[in-house]
Amino acid sequence: MKKKTKSVILNLFSLLFFYLLVVALTFSGGMSDYLSNILVTVCITVIMTASLNVTTGLLGQLALGHAGFMAVGAYVSAIFTRTAALDFGLSFPISLLLGGMAAALFGMLIGIPALRLQGDYLAIITLGFGEIIRVIIENLSVTGGAKGLSGITRMVRAFSQDSAVSSVIQFTFVFLITVLIIASIFTLGRSRHGRAIISIRENAIAAEATGIPTTKYKLLAFTIAAFFAGIAGGLFAHQTSIINAKMFGFNKSIEYLVIVVLGGMGSITGSIIASVVLISLPEVLRAFSEYRLVIYSLMLILMMLFRPSGLMGTREFSMLEAWEGMERFFRRLFKQKSSQTRMPFQPRYDVWEGKPVLETFSLGIAFGGLKAAEKIDLRLMDNEIVGLIGPNGAGKTTVFNLLTGVYAPTEGQVVLLGKPINGKMTHQITQDGIARTFQNIRLFKSMTALENIKVAFHSRMHYSPLSGILRNAQCLSEERGIDIRARELLRVFDMEDLAEVRAGSLPYGKQRKLEICRALASNPKVLLLDEPAAGMNPSETVELMQTIKTIRHQFSVAILLIEHDMRLVMGICERIYVLNYGRVIAQGSPEEIRSNPEVIAAYLGTRKAEEEAAVHA
Amino acid sequence: MNLFLNQLINGLHVGSIYALIALGYTMVYGIVKLINFAHGDILMIGAYTAVVTITSLGFSAPLAMLATVLCCVVFGIVIERVAYKPLRSSPRISSLITAIGVSMLLQNLALLIFGAQSRPFPTLHRIPPIRFQGLQVSFITLLTIAVSLALMAGLTLFVKAGKAGKAMRAVSEDYNTAQLMGINVNTTITLTFAIGCALAGIGSFLYCMAYPAVSPTMGSLPGLKAFISAVLGGIGIIPGAILGGFVMGIAESLTKAYISTQMSDAVVYGILIIVLLVKPTGLLGRASREKV
Repeated sequence: MKKKTKSVILNLFSLLFFYLLVVALTFSGGMSDYLSNILVTVCITVIMTASLNVTTGLLGQLALGHAGFMAVGAYVSAIFTRTAALDFGLSFPISLLLGGMAAALFGMLIGIPALRLQGDYLAIITLGFGEIIRVIIENLSVTGGAKGLSGITRMVRAFSQDSAVSSVIQFTFVFLITVLIIASIFTLGRSRHGRAIISIRENAIAAEATGIPTTKYKLLAFTIAAFFAGIAGGLFAHQTSIINAKMFGFNKSIEYLVIVVLGGMGSITGSIIASVVLISLPEVLRAFSEYRLVIYSLMLILMMLFRPSGLMGTREFSMLEAWEGMERFFRRLFKQKSSQTRMPFQPRYDVWEGKPVLETFSLGIAFGGLKAAEKIDLRLMDNEIVGLIGPNGAGKTTVFNLLTGVYAPTEGQVVLLGKPINGKMTHQITQDGIARTFQNIRLFKSMTALENIKVAFHSRMHYSPLSGILRNAQCLSEERGIDIRARELLRVFDMEDLAEVRAGSLPYGKQRKLEICRALASNPKVLLLDEPAAGMNPSETVELMQTIKTIRHQFSVAILLIEHDMRLVMGICERIYVLNYGRVIAQGSPEEIRSNPEVIAAYLGTRKAEEEAAVHA
Repeated sequence: MNLFLNQLINGLHVGSIYALIALGYTMVYGIVKLINFAHGDILMIGAYTAVVTITSLGFSAPLAMLATVLCCVVFGIVIERVAYKPLRSSPRISSLITAIGVSMLLQNLALLIFGAQSRPFPTLHRIPPIRFQGLQVSFITLLTIAVSLALMAGLTLFVKAGKAGKAMRAVSEDYNTAQLMGINVNTTITLTFAIGCALAGIGSFLYCMAYPAVSPTMGSLPGLKAFISAVLGGIGIIPGAILGGFVMGIAESLTKAYISTQMSDAVVYGILIIVLLVKPTGLLGRASREKV
């Protein structure tokens, strides 16, 4: 706690010190117009790169059209201040907000279709949209066509008659906006919404399976980034007073991307430092201005070759400190020292004793002509442990994918707690009560064990992105609640002391456990475990068997598990389904399955099976 | 009708240049999954080589073309070895950003050496345009289309039939397995870059004959359009790049003729977006899903 307070004071102090220094320099004449102009450029660049970092760093999607949003903000804002018959001190802030909103609207409009794509394709389509925005602006008459707009009020002179006073007001205004935007990106990043966005970067499929509506959060990240870029555009328009569409082309987007990359993707402070250095350095080294861009591009290549994660990577101590500082800053600002702690769980399920919690009716899927699964009838009673076995390629994981909505079934029905869930999205099914683990572990590797679990609480929390930004009472009480619950869960698995360890650096067995832990955090009624013992040694497997038995009672879940380790399957399953060639070939108690000739045939081949049958007879 | 046919021929002319450049993008993407942003600037390097060899060194046109191709190939190989090879196993975003860096570096080096002013490309022939029933086709158009088609046919044969082509296909299918089969992956990747850059070199020469102005940033726009062509046809697929190039060229010249010159870029990007939304893997691409 003391360390935190120290870091808050440090951060606030350095911000204030910097601010007062600039003000003092301006009044004493030590700050030329040229220098103060550079300061404004730095602030605008900070906003642009920090917001781009929301999509590229936090969400992990490369966007190549960020300058397009800046253009929208710049034009809307400039047109508003030119036409509105208001005092500049009033019309300018309104115009910035309008510019931001217009850009956010564009972000949303573009995002809805574009975010169906990923990776390279998303990068290309954002490039396309960015260029289209530019071309459209060049061809409209409101925007002045290719010539652009000129005579936009310059903010450096507009606030007051006295040039020094006006310059100070300009700096105060721009600096304040920048600080506010950076602070809200930080606080948002720490909220459940930020966690949801980062979990998509880490592993989109796992995020969806832990109950994160990934499309919604991609769109949210995209829209927020566009909003801030729009505001930066408005500032830019009133800094230069002349704008045209060429200023916001592909090269501009790339320039910002370069800064984000150099600073470190996912590190907001990295973006800030890189913006400051890369904008001011060339100005200082004006003598070498010819070589500027050559050096700049060489730096980019060398950085990628020798330190590809950028200056700061995704995490760095100073960043954590700054982060915590902002949090405390806001907590103080709003004086919301709520001591309330709201627990995330409410009992959601009726008593299902003696009734099936999960049933499927002739479920099946065909990929083209290949029927990967057909006529699957499964039934899972409350609190039951059921095994799903079968040779490789029998369709076991396909059944899991059908149950969780990763694949849409082409035939049949899935009924969970008496309600059909066919055709729902994975995250909705997770929220309805099915959680799963994966055959090849899918953790959010660069998040800590604790954070991994917290992501899964997402759908059990209610505070909005705005209260996440403000860190108000509701946000804090819910966060405190899930912190307690998440640690409790870790305790069940004896992993309390690993809470702050990155999931990716945990030993293999612990990673498997953490995945089960995360699945339980979404409060499921049915837990699907895909080869939980894979890669475990015999003693670890025995331990796992114990754990599975414990969680069945403690969390009152029905468990369906895929496993090749027959000792585990025979040891804990009450019933077993056997799958081969996409069909259920046998079901029954472990004893029945062990002596079933068809099962033996599937595993050992027919001749051997006949021999075995003869022995049994 | 004549206007339409003339525009169609113009479209084929531009389209075949786009296709030649798009082949470089698509081959590189197919084999190392990298969008080589510097490929457009290879075009610019080719153009400067041609101008310098013809005007300063007095080379004849065929000799200058050979020099252009050689220079492009050398640049391509050096870029691959120095900038891309060390990053082969790092995240794709790193190599993509490096490619952007290489592109910036080439443009700014050219700016430093040759200056911002654009240089005229010398006229190389005096053959009059061919007239036929009101149609008018210039010699350059015919030459461009013929050379491009021949090169595309040659490349398709090379990739389909030859030993090196088979190695290229194997590496693009599965890098690691190809290694286990005794294929020298490094040589194969270098060869891919070399072929891509050779095509860009020829494309650059043909491009300059049609648009005779050489400047440091001249590669950006045709590069971008060629890249879009590659995506349009399905990036990584060789026939896709050819198809994409022609579709792009024709769409562009028809928009210029019938809608407006300024909007032609918007139409180009519009096509890209529609294709990506309807069929993200491009016209000839096949979808693949991540295994869960």
